[in-house]
Amino acid sequence: MTGVDGTHEQWLAQIDAELDGELSLVERAALAKHLATCSHCAGARASHLEVRVALARSAGNPHAFVVPRPAMRAGTLALWVIVALATGLLGGWFADRRWGGPGGGATLEESRGTVVVH
Amino acid sequence: MGLLSFTSIILALSALQGPGTRLTYRVRVIEPAIAPRVLASGAVSGPMDSDMRLTLRTDTAEVEALFQVTPTVGDTVTLGAEFYTRRQVGRSRRGLPLWEEDTYQRVVRVAWSDTARVYPFGVGPGPSARALRVELILEREFAGGEARAGEHFELLDSTRDVRIEAVVRPRRARIILNLVRGDTVSGPRPMDLVLEEPPRVVQLVLKGRPTTLVVSLTRPDAARSMRDRALALDADIVCLRVSQPAVLQPFGTICGHLNNVARRLPLPTGDTLAATFAWPGAR
Repeated sequence: MTGVDGTHEQWLAQIDAELDGELSLVERAALAKHLATCSHCAGARASHLEVRVALARSAGNPHAFVVPRPAMRAGTLALWVIVALATGLLGGWFADRRWGGPGGGATLEESRGTVVVH
Repeated sequence: MGLLSFTSIILALSALQGPGTRLTYRVRVIEPAIAPRVLASGAVSGPMDSDMRLTLRTDTAEVEALFQVTPTVGDTVTLGAEFYTRRQVGRSRRGLPLWEEDTYQRVVRVAWSDTARVYPFGVGPGPSARALRVELILEREFAGGEARAGEHFELLDSTRDVRIEAVVRPRRARIILNLVRGDTVSGPRPMDLVLEEPPRVVQLVLKGRPTTLVVSLTRPDAARSMRDRALALDADIVCLRVSQPAVLQPFGTICGHLNNVARRLPLPTGDTLAATFAWPGAR
């Protein structure tokens, strides 16, 4: 039973890959052959297709061949890495200024000598 | 009106800087409590260009300050203070004390006989702040030809480390020269030299052989350490430049405090010149 479920999961993954256009001709042929004999997988494929059509419509592109997966572009990723690093550095610098090292307490000017005329 | 103002400025400055005017720093170190307690008191006096060095030490802080007075027009003076402070800020991972050093200046304008309160440890919220205060009163008096600096200091609480010193930059110095070779020493040759004046020729005789030298007195180069510069620790250092007549290249330069310690300079003739620097006698 487990082996059948595992195989079924694999066919579902193949269906996803097919809809993404990632299957080779041979793999597509094998999937088509399986779909002809497996009504469950055929139904799952139809369901996947409907979901994708709905997503494409909601994205304003009802005639899309494939629905692009939300993917982070390299530029965006680099930007976020830079922002995270800068935030970390700034936070570290602020924490060091505020709490880091010996000599905390009063400000430098308060700890310095003062001359007051009376 | 302009001429009158100018004349009054000249008169005021000449009155302040006249040879007969002495400046006195009167000092009281006070512990401000419910009943304020005087820990030390004293005075430093000298010519108008005299400075005062104040030193205060506790277990966790050291404050050294050089106070200087610059006469201004009218009945006021500018009191400047150059502070050099060390504060213990903790201990290292090896258990050794960590100190931070700080140098800064304070300048206030005071009238003669005003009281300037100095809070050497600051006025911040820390426990050591306002732990002590120093009351400083500036006075001037006409004291004839007395030109030497004077100090008077009384420490009433011996557990405290407080010190005041007069800082006077010499205009001239008493130099005593000897020629030394082995165990033979020439007769001492004392002379009063004025700083930055033209060189003088001096002849020393050792074992009947005369040696002629050209000597001049100069000020040393600026101190390299920040603390020495801030506190004028080199104020009484002079340098004796020794050369041969008609020779540009000097034998050498001897520098030292005016503290009666002989300093030696080997000469190419095989003799050694011993120079002792001291304050000149009172005039």
